[in-house]
Amino acid sequence: MATIEIEGLTKRFGSVVAVDHVSFSVDQGTVTGFLGPNGAGKTTTLRMLLGLVSPSAGTATINGYPYRELAGPRRVVGAMLESSGAYPGRTARNHLRIEALAAGAPRPRVDEVLDLVDLTAAADRRVGQFSLGMRQRLGLATALLCDPEILILDEPANGLDPEGVHWLRRLLRGLAADGRTILVSSHILAEVAQTVDAVVILDHGRLVTQAPLAELTAAGGASLEEIFLNLTSDQGALR
Amino acid sequence: MTRLIRTELLKLSTIRMTWGLLAVAAALSALFASLEASRAGNGNSGVPPITTATGLLTVTTVTGFGMLLAAVLGVISATGEFRHGSATLTYLATPSRVRVLWAKAAAVACFGAGFGLVAALVSAGIGVGVAAGHGGPLALGTGTLIGHAAGAVLGGALLGALGVAVGSLIRSQLAAIIGVFVWAVVVESLIGGLFTAVRPYLPYTAATSLAGTQLGGAAFAAAHDVAGRGPLPFAAAAALIAGITAAVALIAARTSVRRDIT
Repeated sequence: MATIEIEGLTKRFGSVVAVDHVSFSVDQGTVTGFLGPNGAGKTTTLRMLLGLVSPSAGTATINGYPYRELAGPRRVVGAMLESSGAYPGRTARNHLRIEALAAGAPRPRVDEVLDLVDLTAAADRRVGQFSLGMRQRLGLATALLCDPEILILDEPANGLDPEGVHWLRRLLRGLAADGRTILVSSHILAEVAQTVDAVVILDHGRLVTQAPLAELTAAGGASLEEIFLNLTSDQGALR
Repeated sequence: MTRLIRTELLKLSTIRMTWGLLAVAAALSALFASLEASRAGNGNSGVPPITTATGLLTVTTVTGFGMLLAAVLGVISATGEFRHGSATLTYLATPSRVRVLWAKAAAVACFGAGFGLVAALVSAGIGVGVAAGHGGPLALGTGTLIGHAAGAVLGGALLGALGVAVGSLIRSQLAAIIGVFVWAVVVESLIGGLFTAVRPYLPYTAATSLAGTQLGGAAFAAAHDVAGRGPLPFAAAAALIAGITAAVALIAARTSVRRDIT
């Protein structure tokens, strides 16, 4: 059963077509890698899915509803976007207290998610002093506040050191093992290959392919990285 | 809606800016109330002695800074969401952006009321203190002082909400803050000085008149004794500012607030 359904989604910024008639779906309980070179339209697609950007055409639904019509959206979907900014002058704990109140998560959850992302020791420091990796982990903590069944993560591995990437992989696998649906964008292909069940590849705003990972790599016997480079550079050559 | 307003209240109380602005409001109120106190009864200042009702009023009604900085808090609260990218999280939790706008206006109004109260306590404290030093009975009754303080509380609340509406419309923090100051300091003085008939209807002037400030007597307004119309009645002045706030908020809700969050 499809949890996330995207149909003919299009976004034009002036004369630039950032996302061009993209359609794909994400099945319940799967981890889907959302791949594409920089500027492929991944973030714009995710922002349309989350009701932050209005599509020029097409629809994006979660459990059959547009994000803006979900009741208690943060309890259904946990999202972490590239610039999911916390106010730099606030402490991590206060940031999470605010998000918990806004999202309707019980107060003790704040300490639980701080612990989950290893930020308990830094909880009372101002977010402005955080490293990029710490801010990414705070973003994950925010997404996990309501223990949602669906997670949408935009480049969560950005700024994480190798140890952090390893930690993220285990976290995502644990969340997936609990039956959650995860859509995760990334350009770190080796990382994705070890975590995802299926991939959706975008290039120049268009859908290049959607397929189970096993199917893609089995067909040519190639690695995900080779397939990705082939698919995306072909698109580039055509134009 | 209650939870949303509580969220916005928690946001305001967990940034240093809120308390910094409150401190600035208190300090400016103290400074200008002291200046007015030193001018009162001073031969060539034109201000009657502090032992008279008019003289004491010029000191105890220096509450405009509380209201002006409440407006600045409103602007910062609305524009900060875009400056720091926290609008993304705010709208993820509450996709109805108009509800966020109203909740923010309500929350800043609560803090703005506090700003007005602090300004009133500071200026009334200085006025009453200096007057007591001159001996004799206080020229203003307690009821009048409390009435003016209540006006400052309401004025701070209303201008705080107006600041949220303006900030939501303009979105650029710097432009909106400069706009608020230029409006209150320059535009209202100019328009109010040139066209005295419209002066009572200018929002900052109307807010200060809620708190008993003489027209043209606000610390940032034109010279003290410009002839013109009297202030609006209390309820009319309050309704005027509330109406302007609602109008600006509605324009914002139909324009800027709908924009893509990229």
